[in-house]
Order: sequence, then structure tokens, then C-alpha cells
Amino acid sequence: MVRPALPLVFAMLFLPTLQAADLNPKIQLMESVRLETIRKVSPSVVAVVTGGGSGVLISPDGYALTNFHVVAGQSPTLKCGLADGILYDAILVGLDKIGDVALIKLLPKDDKKPFPFAALGDSDKVQVGDQSIAMGNPFMLATDFTPTVTFGLVSGVHRYQYPERGMFEYTDCIQIDTSINPGNSGGPLFNMKGELVGINGRGSFDKRARINSGVGYAISINQIKNFMGHLRSGMLVDHASLGAVVSSGFEESSFSKVMISGMIDSDASRRGLKIDDQVLFFAGRPTGSVNQFKNVLGLFPKGWRVPLTFKREQENGSSERREILVRLMGYEKQDLNNPNAEAKPVPIPMPKGPNQPKVQNPKAPSGPAAKFYEAKAGYANYYFNKQERDRLLASISKNGDFKTLAGNWQLQATGRIGDKGRQSIVVLRVIPKGAKDGKNDLAQGIFDGIDFAVEPLAVEQSGKTMKDPPGSGGLLVAFFQLRQLLVYGEKGFVGDFSHGGMEPYYLPTTDSEKPNYTASRMDAEVLRTSLGGVNSKWYFNPKDYQLLGCEVSTDRDDDPCEIHFSDYRKDNQGRMLPGKMVVRYGDKEYLRANIDGWKMEEK
Amino acid sequence: MTGWLAASIGVLAIAWQGDVTATQLAQEVNPKLVKLFGSGGFKGLPSYGTGVIISQDGYVLTVANHLLESSDLRVHLYDGTRLPARVIAVEPELDVALLKLGTEKSKIEDLPFFDVLAAMKAPLALPGTTVFAFSNQFQIATRDEPMSMMRGNIAAYAKLSGRIGIFEAPYSGNVYVVDAITNNPGAAGGVVTNRKGELLGLIGRELRNEQTDTWINYAVPIQASVDVRLADGSSRKVSIQELVEKKENYKPVTKAQKGSGGGGYHGMVFVPNVVDRTPPYIEEVLPKSPAHKAGLLPDDLVVYVDGLPVVSVTMLEEILEKYRPQDKVQLEIRRGDKLQTISLQLEVTPKALPAPGAKP
Repeated sequence: MVRPALPLVFAMLFLPTLQAADLNPKIQLMESVRLETIRKVSPSVVAVVTGGGSGVLISPDGYALTNFHVVAGQSPTLKCGLADGILYDAILVGLDKIGDVALIKLLPKDDKKPFPFAALGDSDKVQVGDQSIAMGNPFMLATDFTPTVTFGLVSGVHRYQYPERGMFEYTDCIQIDTSINPGNSGGPLFNMKGELVGINGRGSFDKRARINSGVGYAISINQIKNFMGHLRSGMLVDHASLGAVVSSGFEESSFSKVMISGMIDSDASRRGLKIDDQVLFFAGRPTGSVNQFKNVLGLFPKGWRVPLTFKREQENGSSERREILVRLMGYEKQDLNNPNAEAKPVPIPMPKGPNQPKVQNPKAPSGPAAKFYEAKAGYANYYFNKQERDRLLASISKNGDFKTLAGNWQLQATGRIGDKGRQSIVVLRVIPKGAKDGKNDLAQGIFDGIDFAVEPLAVEQSGKTMKDPPGSGGLLVAFFQLRQLLVYGEKGFVGDFSHGGMEPYYLPTTDSEKPNYTASRMDAEVLRTSLGGVNSKWYFNPKDYQLLGCEVSTDRDDDPCEIHFSDYRKDNQGRMLPGKMVVRYGDKEYLRANIDGWKMEEK
Repeated sequence: MTGWLAASIGVLAIAWQGDVTATQLAQEVNPKLVKLFGSGGFKGLPSYGTGVIISQDGYVLTVANHLLESSDLRVHLYDGTRLPARVIAVEPELDVALLKLGTEKSKIEDLPFFDVLAAMKAPLALPGTTVFAFSNQFQIATRDEPMSMMRGNIAAYAKLSGRIGIFEAPYSGNVYVVDAITNNPGAAGGVVTNRKGELLGLIGRELRNEQTDTWINYAVPIQASVDVRLADGSSRKVSIQELVEKKENYKPVTKAQKGSGGGGYHGMVFVPNVVDRTPPYIEEVLPKSPAHKAGLLPDDLVVYVDGLPVVSVTMLEEILEKYRPQDKVQLEIRRGDKLQTISLQLEVTPKALPAPGAKP
């Protein structure tokens, strides 16, 4: 028993000197960088105690990301621990079931003290072979919430992993050999600069137990960025589908192609996409395989517009190449592509155990966070939608107060209608209920000398009239809805009046120009309204809160009327009003005009 | 501090592993591998795997597993090209197979490849060496999607068959045991390289220890060779090198017939193997056989072979196959309710075996 002690003491005496002398300085530097990165990011790592997962703070006011499968089935009021050892109250904000993402918000203990948070990286820059750090609380080991750190390689990027029961579709995800285990779910994947590049959530296990098998997947942060606006506005976010079935039709050929093999009535079909077209690019990325196509599709929420380039073989042997801008449909309750995949990766929920907090009624919000919760169908937490919406409305109102202007409205403009070569006079008018002879609100217009009139709220009116003047998709109704928004705000609408998250907005080009969707794209904050069977989306520039434009849809199975406003100027009342407008319907420009004057009367 | 950090990372990108970064390594290795698709898809056997290109005209090394038992063997190259493949030679003793891409008529050239003959001349990698594993585990990639990359270390260079019956491996030579979880479904036939991207070995099968429910991760070194004892008592050395050099002319080792005692004749006939774990009861002892001479009797239950517990007929037969004529085997048997130890010496299998059922 005594004998081994001597060599041991001997070894211990020499061990420190051996290390210092023998270790390559590069390795020492590498190690110190790693330690410094871990020290820097640790405070942002969240132990989601309710649900037994992990998360990461992304803003000083307490917003944090985790997995949907961590908070699923839990109360919207959550308990979260940070590396400072303190247990915080938190509230569910937004959910992306298909993408397996949840946004939550931690409540500060001290309002003046900002939360530590992780900077978002660019996951498209992550490469195979990069080193990565995963942090979280696997197996809920740390009772003081000190995060567990694992370190490994990026094994693959732009990976596609099939959904399970219509959920947890990991598109364009990052594959890692960095060890992730039950409890790591929802936790951050960092690059070596300490930037957040992904949210860990799934693994491939097959025959082995649901513990690390060297194959973990993180949802790419760039995908989450696209959903962030929706998540922050409390939504149950739906993913996108194209409205077409794609297949690698050429499974037996030596090269892989993505072909359109089925179409349903959709924006894609209205934009001219047909069966047997070959998809070349989708949202700017080449689509050489179905997996690549699905990777791109999974990046976007329902309703986003993204460019798609396709190739069509002509009968004479030549081929046509076209780029279209497609409005994406919803994903849920659709099963267009559902091949059976082998070795499905599965999310890693915490095993039910004694560490799991006992929640009496998982649905009932309780505690100090409960006042930040409001249930509503279609929302994870409607409270945050109202917050976002009211913030947006407050910002918009700084550009002008229209509340008192409930009388007649008139807009006069000079411009080109359709493909007419000459300049025409355009007048748009709204005459409110009882203002003249009519019993109902009236929207009138004069287009190059031709009169049109619509009762924009009369339900019995034919859909065709609602789209007057012909070729505009419903410009008169759209003008009425605009006045409704500016004058009445929320009170002017009966159905939906909500924040619609963030969407791309494309500045219109003329029909003769070749559109450059990358250059003309900007991000816009969206307000969604509905009134009298008309659904509208209003796009605001998040920099100055000017109305960039709107999409007013009188017929859900047809294209909306799109109006783009620009050249904003102050009128004599200090209101910002656009000096130019472009109206589009489908693939065509209906009107491009300079606005000569706005006349807005009080009642 | 941030500035220092950024600067250090810049340095590291270059310095981390000498000349090549892991990202460059992945780009270099990936084109030399193929995604393999064949038979499987049942009983937990994947229908996909990995192979390594070893010549510019499309010879491919992979693991000799169930995948190859298909008339429709296909590969996807790194650029998404889909090609048929055919089996050229299989060496079960090495658990390695040689394939050729394309049909017999098609001409394939200019593929990126690993120079295996050069790799075989390199010394074996030492335990502690950092290695990278590349494979199409879990069929994550199809067409032009790249292989999965993992990092680990060689934990040991050791015999895989040391515990036959626990890890049921056909290959009995030395392997690199890797500390990363490399041997996932479909990973077999992938490669393990060093930091310079030099080929060290082929990723082996999925092997589970039935007693502890643990899995071992290993690669067969590219220098692998084993001495195989043939049924007649002579031995032959087989190697991946020989397989690669002889290609179509390679003659695999003829395995000794199953059931006759593998490398040695014992003369025990066991009860019919009807269930998964049929206990190894002796049904009959052949006359004048080593078992007969040692005094074994019908209804004896074999419990241990040279100290190794046996639970089934299958396991016992596999263990006995590893012995050869003249070897001494010590059996623990249960006769009635007593344990007994019986030694027997194996013999060369007689040309004419007595028919089972003949009286001693």
C-alpha cells in the first residue's frame, strides 16, 4: 500500500514543469482562446428548468431562444436559471413548432441591470471542420445552473433532416460531433468567436440509447433570424410550402435535378410555374437536389416572397429560363412531400425523472410572469403581439395624425396606366357613409376619364367589382382600406388587426426592367388587418416607419392589389405623405404615377 | 481583450494543425469517398454505407458486409454523379471488399483517390494520434452532399477478436480503437485519416457488446494482414495490400466448413439450434472423436470454454472455430447437477466423418 505513493509524489512534482515545457505554444494559445470564449459566453446560457432543457439569451432585455420541444406541454410561465446561480421567472413569447424553436423572455430581478446575451453569428459562414462549443445543462446536472461545456467539430453544414409527425423538420441545419445529450436541447452552439451560430436540438441515434452518438444537429441561427420578427410578435409561426410538389424525378439518372412534379392552385402556379419545370435556384441558392430545395424552403415563414429561377424545356428543343417572385404558402396540414427516411434523427427530450419539476396543471400560467400572458388561437402568447403592434402603431403615428380626418378623402395623381403610352389623370376618392346620397361607404375612382365606384364593405357585391378598376386587383378597395387604417387604426377593422412579424419587401421595378430581387429587397415590419372579407398586409420601413406599401386581397384565391408608396414629403399639417405610387397586380404594373395632391377632410 | 481574441483566432486558423486546416482537410478527403447503396433496410441493417476510392479508374475499398449482397449496387460520387458498382473480390478474414465503379463496358477515369499502396508503407499510427473520420453515417448525405466529419484520437491498437462472442467480428487482426463515436450505421467503409489527410484505416462495422450493451468504435488499419489457419492445419497470410494488388485475380481464403469444428475436430454434436439462445447441450458424441476419448456424454451442458462463459450453441460453435488441430480445450460442463472440468485435444478433421447416429 505504501509503495505506490513514492512514484506518485514524484510524478506530481514534475507534472507542472513537464506541461509548461513540452506543450506547443500554439496549443497553449488555442486553449487560452477557447477558455476565454467560454468565459465570455457562459453568462448568456440558460437552464430552462421547466421542461428540462437549455436556452440562450439573445438580448439585454431578456429574450432567449430554446427548442419548442423543451417548452411543449409546459405552462407558458417558466422558470429559468442562469450561470449566476439565480432562478428567474420567464414567459413564453413565440413558437415555431416545425422548426422546433421557441422564444421566451426572462424577467429581470433588477430592471436597471441588463441581461448578459450572446451575439448572433452568421451560420452560413460555418464550415465543415470548424470547431464549435455546445453549452447547456445536459441531464440537468448543474443545480447551480453552471453550464456544461462540450467541444467538437462541425461534421456537416446545410444538412436536411426529415420532420417527425409534421414537426421538428431541421432544414439547413448544422451537424456536429460536439456531444449533445438530453437537457442540451435548446442550448447554444457557439463558434470559436463566441457567436451564436445554432440552437442544439436533435441527434441521430438509431439502435443506441438517446444519448450522444456523435451526430447532433443544431438549427442554424440564420434560419431563426428569418422567424425572429414573427416569434417576437407572439405567433405560432407556420413554415412555408411552395404549392408545388418537387421530386428528383431523375432518380435513375447520373445527375440529380429538382423537378416540379405536381402543382396546386397557388401563387407559384399564378406566377407561371408548371409541372416538368426544373428548379435551378431558390431564394438565390442553387437547388441540385430535393434536400437542397427543402433546406431553402425551411428557411422561411409562410407568406414570405422569395425569388425562384426555373428552366423549361420547349418543344423545339430550346429551353427558357425565368425568375419569378413567389409568395410562399403555409406548411401545416399539408403533406406534399413525405418520403420515408431511414434512420430518422429525433429530438432529445429529457427523460422524465425526479429532477423534473412537478407542474400541477401544465397549461395554467402562474406566478409573476402570468401578467405577460394572453391566450389566443393562432398565437403562442397574444400579449406580445399586442405589445409589438402597439409599438409599431406608436411609431407610425409619429409620421402624421389622421384621426380627425374622417370625412371625404381624395388623391389625385398623374401617370401611366397599364401599357398605355401616355400620361393619364387618376383620381381616388372615399366618401364615407351618409356623406352624400349613399347609405354605405363609397370608393370612387376616375381612371383616364372612366368612372368606377365600389361599395367596399358591401358583402353581397360581386368579387369582380371589388377588383375595380380592371387590371388593378382592387385599387379602389385598397384606397378605402388605407384610409380606414390611417383614420381609425384598430377600431377601423373588425377581424384581424395584428402585428405580422417581419417580411421581405421588394421595391417595384418597371415591367421592362429585369428585377434584381437581391438589390431591391428590404426588411419590413408587417401589420395585418381584415375588414369586410378583405385581408391586407401593410409594410412599414423599420427605420422611419413610413408605409412602404401594402397588399390588399379581396379574393384569397387571386393575387392581391399591391401599392408601393415613395417620395414621402411633409404636408402643411406636418404629416408625411407619399409623392409617388406604383400599383401592381399579378405580374403586371397597373399604375405608375406622381401624386399631385391629397385632400383629406374632417367629418 | 476582444481584439486579442480576434487576432489569436486569425493565428489559429493557420496554426491549428500545421499546414492544413480541418476545413481544407474535409474538402480534400470528401471527393475520394463514395456513398454506397445496396441491400439492407431490414433487421436494423442499413441499406447504405461508405467506400473509399483507391484508383483513378474507380476501384473502391469498403467493408465486406451485407450491403454487397445486391445485384443493384450503386454509388453517389462527391459531385452527385450516380454510378453502378460491382464486387471484384471479398476477403472475409479482413472484412474488406474491393469494388469497381461503372459497368464492365464503361470507362471511368480521373477520379480523385487515396494512394493506398503508399499509405500501407507508412508506419502504424500510435495511440494518442489525433484522427479524423469521414463517412456517410446515418445516410445524412446523398448525391453531392459531403460526408460527415468527426474528430477523435486513437485510443489503442489492439486485437478486436480478443473477446469473440462478445464482439462478434469476422476480422481477427489488430484494429485502431477510436475514442470518437465513428462506427454508426452506414459508417462502415469510411476512412480514418491523420491531420495531414493521410489514410490510416477503414471504419469497421457497428459492434455491440451484448453483455454490457456498449459499442466499440474501430478502424481496420490499411496495413492490415492476418495469418489464417486453414482447415488442413497450414496457414496463409492475407492482407489488404494483396487484395489491392491482385484485384480480379485475388483468391479469398476458403473458410473451413462450419459445424465440423472449424480449425479443429472435437466430435460433439449439439442439440438443434432452434431458438436464439439454444443452450449448448451435447446431443451426441461421435465415436473415436476427441470428445469421446475425453469422456463427454450426451446431455452434458457446456458452460465454459477455456474460462469463457458460453450461453448458446451458436456462441460455442463460433468459439470452437477459432481453435485448430492439436489445440487443447478445457470445458466446464454440467452433468446432472454437478459441474465438471474436461480437457480434450482437438484433431485434424477426418476425411470420412462417422455419420451422426452411428453407435460408438
